[in-house]
Amino acid sequence: MSSPATEIQQERAPLFGKKERAALLDPLSDDNPITVQVLGICSALAVTIQMNRALVMAAAVIAVVCTSNVVISLIRNLIPPSIRIIVQLSVIASLVIVVDQILQAFMYDVAKQLSVFVGLIITNCIIMGRAEAFAMANPPWQSFLDGLGNGLGYGIILVAVAVFRELLGSGSLMGFKVIPQAVYDLGYVNNGLMVLAPGAFILLGLMIWAQRTWTGYAEEA
Amino acid sequence: MAFSNGYIFGFAGAICVVCSLAVSGVSLSLRDKQELNRTRDEQGSILGALGLPDDGSVLDGPTIDKLWKERVEQRFIKPDGTPADASLDQDGDGDLDADDVSKAVDAARKADTKPAVLSVYVRLDGKREEAYAIPLSGNGLWGPLGGYLALDAQGREVTGSTFFAPKETPGLGAEIQEPAFEDQWKGKKLVKGGKSAPVRVVKGQAANLCPDDIDYCVDGVSGATITSRGVDEMVARAVGWYDAYLTKIRKGA
Repeated sequence: MSSPATEIQQERAPLFGKKERAALLDPLSDDNPITVQVLGICSALAVTIQMNRALVMAAAVIAVVCTSNVVISLIRNLIPPSIRIIVQLSVIASLVIVVDQILQAFMYDVAKQLSVFVGLIITNCIIMGRAEAFAMANPPWQSFLDGLGNGLGYGIILVAVAVFRELLGSGSLMGFKVIPQAVYDLGYVNNGLMVLAPGAFILLGLMIWAQRTWTGYAEEA
Repeated sequence: MAFSNGYIFGFAGAICVVCSLAVSGVSLSLRDKQELNRTRDEQGSILGALGLPDDGSVLDGPTIDKLWKERVEQRFIKPDGTPADASLDQDGDGDLDADDVSKAVDAARKADTKPAVLSVYVRLDGKREEAYAIPLSGNGLWGPLGGYLALDAQGREVTGSTFFAPKETPGLGAEIQEPAFEDQWKGKKLVKGGKSAPVRVVKGQAANLCPDDIDYCVDGVSGATITSRGVDEMVARAVGWYDAYLTKIRKGA
């Protein structure tokens, strides 16, 4: 039996310790899943034409990666190592289907726009990667923070790419026209390249370059 | 940590059961809501083509239900323009519904003939027929295209249109779903020299390309030649299929 004082301390100490902060904050920049680890590129190209799609996609990925990390972490000691990948995949796939169903029921318009890409969250390497690399070895709270951090790190890049693509490609943000008609009358035209995948590639490349210059990260040869 | 084979099989089985229960539970509990969304989405686009709501109200769920009940009637017709009856049932369930029409249309598009049964949506004001919407279906660059073309009570002029291009490239082919493309169709004519004539989608600026026939032309989408051609084809096909029915409307029958 421990006294109430130590119990509180035990609970409080790890709530936002160094490790927790690292789990949450590292993926935002120093260890960003997209710009540093170069994971989740497929969806970063596919759903970044408009900001609202990118936001919903980011929210969906955050929801899935947080829950899957917590679930995997809770059962991490029960999972036989020989079938751990397939167990992780089952958990992730189930969660993604649930998210997809919820979107179709409550946010039908967005679900229609995102179409297959919600389902494809299953194959997003970030989620499997976090389950395998982090949640299998860490307690639920830390795993949750790690999931949140990675989801946010993914979301930030997604939204950043989407802002440029929507602004330059369609002259709008969140579907609202921000470039006034007068500018078009003067001869300005939207950049069609930005709405196509190559536009996203170029933007993403520039972002990776800028971010790596900023943090001084270099690929090991 | 060593796990016995029995444990591994048991664990795998338990995961399967738990996951499938979770997924099917969510799916079952949300099915009605999803069905409702899909139906309303379809009805909303037909209403949009027919120019409803005409009092400026927002097209939300309850409005769709109300307008659909009070102002729209779905009719089934034969290609010769006469009303279809249950003997034209295509899927064997004994009555005519949207499934029968889509089956007939698919078969007709494969065989390049007219479908055995067609559907038309009529905008009503009490008993008065104000407008007609005919469904369109065709192919774009990456996948199917669809839409509705609404005609005035005389069957002579386009009053509205809705297009869907779920698979087309956003910013290019998918632009046919934008008001900028759809609004061009308003006021275009469907009768030329007493005969049905489809509105054509032309590459480039319609005003330069068909100066004499501007009433029968709309601008295609730049960079989306194949999608534009798909729209052109599906409109031409639908106008052909509904020719007899439209002729009847024009004669006031």
